Order: sequence, then C-alpha cells, then structure tokens
Amino acid sequence: MELILLAISAILVKNILLAQYLGHCPFQGVSKRMETAVGMGMAVIFTMTVASAITWIVSRSVLVPYGIEYLQTIAFILVIAALVQFVEIFMKKTLPALYQALGIFLPLITTNCAILGVALLNVRNDYGFVKMVIFSVSSAIGFALALVLFAGLRERFRTTRIPQPLQDTAIGLITAGLMSLAFLGFLGMA
Amino acid sequence: MTIPLIFMGALGAGAALLLGIASRVFYVKEDPRISEVEAALPGANCGGCGYAGCRACAEAIVSGKAPCNVCVAGGAETAIEVGAILGIPVEIKEPELAWTSCTYGVGEADPIYTYSGAQDCQAAVALFGGSKLCPIGCIGLGSCVKACQFDALSMDEDRLPVFNPKKCIACGACVEACPKNIIALTSATKRIQAEYTTDECTAPCQRACPTGIDIPSYINAIRVGQPEGALRIIKEKCPLPLVCGRICPAPCEIECRRNLTPDDPVAINDLKRFAADYEMQTGRHVNPYKAPDSGRRTAVIGGGTEGLTAAYYLARLGHAPTLYEAKPELGGVLRYVISPSRLPDGVLDHEIKGILEMGVTARTGQVLGRDFTVHSLLADGYDAVLLATGGFDSRKVLRPGTGKETLIPGVRLMIDVLPALGNDAPAPAGRRVTIVGGVRRALDVARACLAGGAEQVTIVTGHPLGRIPTELRETDELEREGIRVRPRTVISALWGAEERLTSVSLEEASETPGVALAVSLVDTDLLIVAAGRIPELVIVPVREALGTEEDEEPVFRGKWRTIEIIRTLPGHGGEGVFSSPEPGRISDASAVVQAILSGRRVVRGIHQHFSGGIIAPIRQLVVEADGILDVSEIEGVSALPRQRPAVPAPEPGTEADWTNTEEIAGLDPTSAGKEAERCLQCGLICYRQAM
Repeated sequence: MELILLAISAILVKNILLAQYLGHCPFQGVSKRMETAVGMGMAVIFTMTVASAITWIVSRSVLVPYGIEYLQTIAFILVIAALVQFVEIFMKKTLPALYQALGIFLPLITTNCAILGVALLNVRNDYGFVKMVIFSVSSAIGFALALVLFAGLRERFRTTRIPQPLQDTAIGLITAGLMSLAFLGFLGMA
Repeated sequence: MTIPLIFMGALGAGAALLLGIASRVFYVKEDPRISEVEAALPGANCGGCGYAGCRACAEAIVSGKAPCNVCVAGGAETAIEVGAILGIPVEIKEPELAWTSCTYGVGEADPIYTYSGAQDCQAAVALFGGSKLCPIGCIGLGSCVKACQFDALSMDEDRLPVFNPKKCIACGACVEACPKNIIALTSATKRIQAEYTTDECTAPCQRACPTGIDIPSYINAIRVGQPEGALRIIKEKCPLPLVCGRICPAPCEIECRRNLTPDDPVAINDLKRFAADYEMQTGRHVNPYKAPDSGRRTAVIGGGTEGLTAAYYLARLGHAPTLYEAKPELGGVLRYVISPSRLPDGVLDHEIKGILEMGVTARTGQVLGRDFTVHSLLADGYDAVLLATGGFDSRKVLRPGTGKETLIPGVRLMIDVLPALGNDAPAPAGRRVTIVGGVRRALDVARACLAGGAEQVTIVTGHPLGRIPTELRETDELEREGIRVRPRTVISALWGAEERLTSVSLEEASETPGVALAVSLVDTDLLIVAAGRIPELVIVPVREALGTEEDEEPVFRGKWRTIEIIRTLPGHGGEGVFSSPEPGRISDASAVVQAILSGRRVVRGIHQHFSGGIIAPIRQLVVEADGILDVSEIEGVSALPRQRPAVPAPEPGTEADWTNTEEIAGLDPTSAGKEAERCLQCGLICYRQAM
C-alpha cells in the first residue's frame, strides 16, 4: 500500500515536470509532435530507472562508507554520462530495433536535470532498493505523462489562431504554467 | 584528501575503460560511405525520398535500394555529389514543381457555409468537405504552407497557395497535406502526357477543346498584354496555333458561358490566331521546353497534321524523330486540300518551320514501299516507327509502281479483296488469314480466301455472338469449312519478321464483367481489315539475345511487333488496334484539332513504352466522366459586343489575288485586348462576375 501511494505521489502529486520543475528543456523542446514526445518519454523511463539504480549502488557502496557524500553530484553526473554512452553503444549492437526507436533521444537526456534530480532525491529521501526503483520508475512515468499531455495540447496550437507575440515558446510556457496549476490540484489527494 | 582523489580518479578511469572496451566489443561495422553520402544530402529530413530522414535515405542509396538521384531536395547537384562518392553514373531527374489548378479563393467562390473553426484544412474538410460549393476548390487555410519546409509556399490575398518555383524542390509534403488532393507535382514531360481528369479545375471551353488547350490562361495572358506568354500556353497542347487559329471549327466557343447570357461567345479562336500571328510577325519561333536527348530515335511516316504533331511531341520528349513524307512538301491535308485562301502557304510554312526547329528531321518525297519499308526503318535502328497516314484514305497513299500491296506487311483493306466488287486483283494469297470487322461481308471474303488456297481463316469481331449475322453463328459448320469465328474479340498486336506478318494477338473479353481478358496468339500471314484506312500503328523492333551469355545485349534480328498506344477503361470499348474510331480518341481525323489530339496521345503511348511502363488507362477523364459540376445560368455579367476581325476589301482598281490572300484578317492588338476582357475566366463553377 505504501508503495502504491509512493508511485501515485511520484506520478501525479509530485510530478517531476509540473510540481518539481525539473527537465524543462525537453519539455519545451520535443513536445511539438506527439511522435517525438512518446519516443522521449520512453527513453526517459528507460534511462531514469537504470541511472537511478546505478547511482544508488554507487552511493550506498562507495560514497557513504568512505564519507565522501559531498562528491555526490559530480560523481552522479559522471556515472550517468558514462552509463548512457554505454547503453547507446550496447543497444546499437544488440538491439538495433530499440536503438532506432530511442537512439536519437538518448544523448539528449545524458545531462538531463530530471535524471540527476531523481538520483539525488533517492539518496536524500534515504529510500531502500525497492522504494528507490518504484520512485524512479514512477517519476519517469510522470515525466512521460506530462510530456505526452503537453504535446497533445501543442499539436492543437498549429491550427489555432495565436497572437503573433505569443507564438511558439511563449504560449508553450504559459500552457506549461497552467498545466502546473492544474496538477497542483492533486495536492488535495495527498 | 586522498580518498576523494582516488575515488574520482578511479571512477573516471573506470568509466573510460568501460566505454573503451564497449566501443571495441560492440563495434558495429558500418559502411563509411553511408556517412559520406549523408553529409552530401541536404539534411532537411523532409521525407520527399520516401525514407525516414536523410540517414535512412543514405543507407538506402549505399545499399543500392535507392538511386543516386532519389533526393528531391538536393536536386541535380546532390545527385552528382552522391554519384561521385559511390563512383556510379547519375541520371539527372527532370525537375518537378508543385502546382494546383484552383484559381478562385474562398472569398470569390460560392460558399455552402461560413467557416470559423480550427485554422486547418484537414479539420475544415471534416465538415461537409469544406466551406466551398466546389468539391475540388482550395479551402484556403494554408495547411500546405505549414507543411512546406522549404519556404516555397505562401498564401496570397485571395487565400490561394502561391508556389515559388525557385524554392520548390517537389518533396511532396504539400501534396500530402492537402485534404482536397488538389496539389500535384508536375513536370514538362508529365504535362505533355496529361489529359484532364475530374480532379482538376477545368473551364467548359477547355473541356470542349479536343487538344485541351488551357483557354482561360492564354486569354488572360493576352489581356495583360503578353501574347508570347499566351502562345507558350497554347503550344503546351497544340503545336499548330497558326493553323488552328484559322481553320479550327472551335467547339470551345459553343461551350463558352457567355452563351448563357444574351451575348455572343468569346472569340476564343480569333484570340488564338492573334497570339500566333504575333509570333509570325516577329519572325521568331516561341519554342517550349524540350527534354534532353533520350538516346532513342523514332520514325514518323506521314507529314500531315498528326505526323507533325507526333514529331513535335517526340522531339519535346527527346526521342529524335524523323518525319517521312511521300509528297514533296510537309503538311498533308493542310497543304493539299485546304484552300490557301483559308490557310495561306506562307502561314503553314512558318508553322512547320517552327516544328522542325524543335529538332525534327524531315525527309520528303520518300514513299513507303518504294523508298523504304517499315522493316528497313527498323533495320536502320529506329526504336519505334509510327504510321500516321491518317487523313488521306490509306489506299490512295499506295501508288502504282511501288511493287507493294500493303503499307504494313501482310495487312490489306477488305475493299481491295472483296469478290463481289469484281476486283481484277488475284484472290488474296495467304495460308493463314485473319479478317477483322466487316461481319456482313467477312464470310464472302473468307470463302474466297479458302478458294485461293488458304488453310485456316479466323474472323475476329468485337460484337458478341448474338449480334452478328446469323450465317456466322453456325460456328460448328463453319469450323468444318476451316473458318473460325471469334466474337467479343479485338486484335491487340501484330507480330512480324522482316517483310512478313507472322501472327496477331487476340484479346477476348469475358461474358462476365470484371473477369480478365483471354489472350491468344494466332498464326497469320494475311490480315484483312474492314476499316477504310489503316489506323495509327506504332511498330517497334523485338530485340533478342543471340547466344546464351547473360551479359549479351539483345539485338534486332528482323522481328517486329506493334505496341498498344492507348488503353481505355473497361466498359468503354474501343480497345484493340483496329477498333472503330470514336470522337476524342485516336484514329479520328474529322478536324485538325482531333488529329492533333491523336498525335499527342500516340506519343504518350510511345513514351510510356520507352519508359518500360505498361500503358495505364487514364481514370476519370473529363471527356468521359458523367455529371461534371457545371453552372446552368450565370449572373452579374454584363453583355459586351464581340470584336470581329475585318474582312479586307480589295484596293480599288486592282484585281485581288484571292487564291493566296486570306479571306479574313486577324484581330488587331486593341480589339484583341478588348475581346480578352470579355472572357469570364471560368473555373469548374466559378467565373469572373464583376466586370
């Protein structure tokens, strides 16, 4: 029950994009078309889960025992970057179909703050392994959900009369703000 | 202090080692040319090539699945660069452009409702197919403009798309985006072969014109003072504007919408003559686009209207035509039958000179059967021989002393062999005879052939068994005599070797519609044709490999065949090479414009044969489709007097030379401009209201 609540809270209440405001670069960048939004969402789910697991292990087995937790951020960035690169090379060889689908999105999220943010949150909240995995996957699902919803809205912009000064990113940011307000409503559930 | 340093160093080194090993272990062997080709491509990822992005396109090119010139965005330069990387020769694609036929914007066309929903054509079409009454009209919300990645499209003040030919690379994105399917990619070659379909906006006059000239466009060009531009539009469809401007019966003027008001039709033909005369007065020829040399040579037998037209279009498509004419000068009926007071020789000479300038070689005084034969032309290396002896009765083309009975080996006209006519010619000599058409006299001819030593006679008729004379229905009895009757059948091809006919292909239609034709080959050394003249036939060499080696180029060894030059839709009949002529089809020479149409259609068939394609039937032709949207009354148009060309009066005291002086003068520039103002610039249902 606790785990289900954790998942729902990560997906809706503490949505990484709309409540925690992490990872807004891809949120604005790849949300113009539904196709790319779905691709990016899938890539984030995959990377966030793997990256969180590895960083959690690094944190628990190296950083904490040797008392160098203050190196967390820089160590995590290095681990995530190397990991994403490795995964890319690995997939290209062994899973060409998946590489075709996710390939171009992987480098984009190497230094995504949402990935790093979730990795840091895992450590800060002192989750155990199971909780950590649930939280990471749920956060990523929340990211994908928000991105897909937002892309659905933005696809409609193309056929709507938008005043000249508000076109493109401007209306995107306004819409993101309104979506964020709407998601705040989930706070009542918590 | 040491621990963090060691940790970071170890982490960095570990990551580097991992990636280093991974890049070795998981190395994907990739053709380096893929990246090179990708770099040569424009990187627009437009998808115009049919692949998902430039990378996929480069992979397809390197693996040989796509040709070097597949990239439409890069055009010729990219194709050459890609060809250089791969080291293979490049065929430059003919440039294409996007284009639409709609000329009346939402503000001017008749609406069925006012639309104020989402600014997207796709969405607007969902509501009763758009706000316009016209089913093929542009709804003006600019989805095509949004789809264009090359900034080649914009909407004008009438909310119609404007194509910038300098930027358009014909990727086809706008064609995909348009829910009305009114944007098409076009090229000069495609336009030459095009016939109007119901998917295009056409004016009534344009549909009535057998050659299909874009009449509203050329009248508009005259109106804005560009007679040369007008002539360019005319010459797209009609290579003989000087001739047509004088002797065309002008079926277009009967359809003119000005007839719906108490007013005369626009003087369409006089305006055409005005544009053509303007060119003649300048002494130059306005020559339209000509495709590069295709490396093929063609021979056209007959230098009349149809032969000249066919040679003109063959030249425009780059198939190096040579025109063979029996008479000392080109022109056929135009020169030898039509009165010079209607069509002076000087005018005809100027017209023919213009056609020859397009790259047509003319050999006059060359008689088929005496100076050359179909086989000798094929042996000379021509890739196709077109028989365009149309307007004159084919029999008159045969002259005494040629030593040949027939134009095409083994083909004779029935009238020459009919026993009842008391022909003094000997009975037709053929061992295996095929008779096509003329069912009422076919049996007499067949029995005469049998008496003359024939072993087998086949009577071919397009009619079903129930609609032929009763004596032909006794198939079993006739079979015992050696006569086979083939109802519902047409001849689709002739086959021969050198100066002999060897066999004919028969196509038998099934009783049940929709079931495929039964095709058979019948040995024939004599074919008797009931029609009064030999229709257009295109004869091509049959090339065969001499030995068994695979890389050997097939060569011509004397065998030839005819090819199908037009295929109609099922149910319309008229298929087969000897079917009866129908208006608007090939083999109709009732007016000069009909012969021009025939010439162009035959060239379409020859070009498709050269392109290796099967002659595709044209769907939804405007001339065949029923219920074309039209208007039955017009409003908001005031009557304007029709401008009439002057009849020149002979100078007092002189004897006018009427034999070579034109009866009617053309329009002068002022009256031509006034007349062009009278044109309503009609579309399918739109027309110019405020005059």
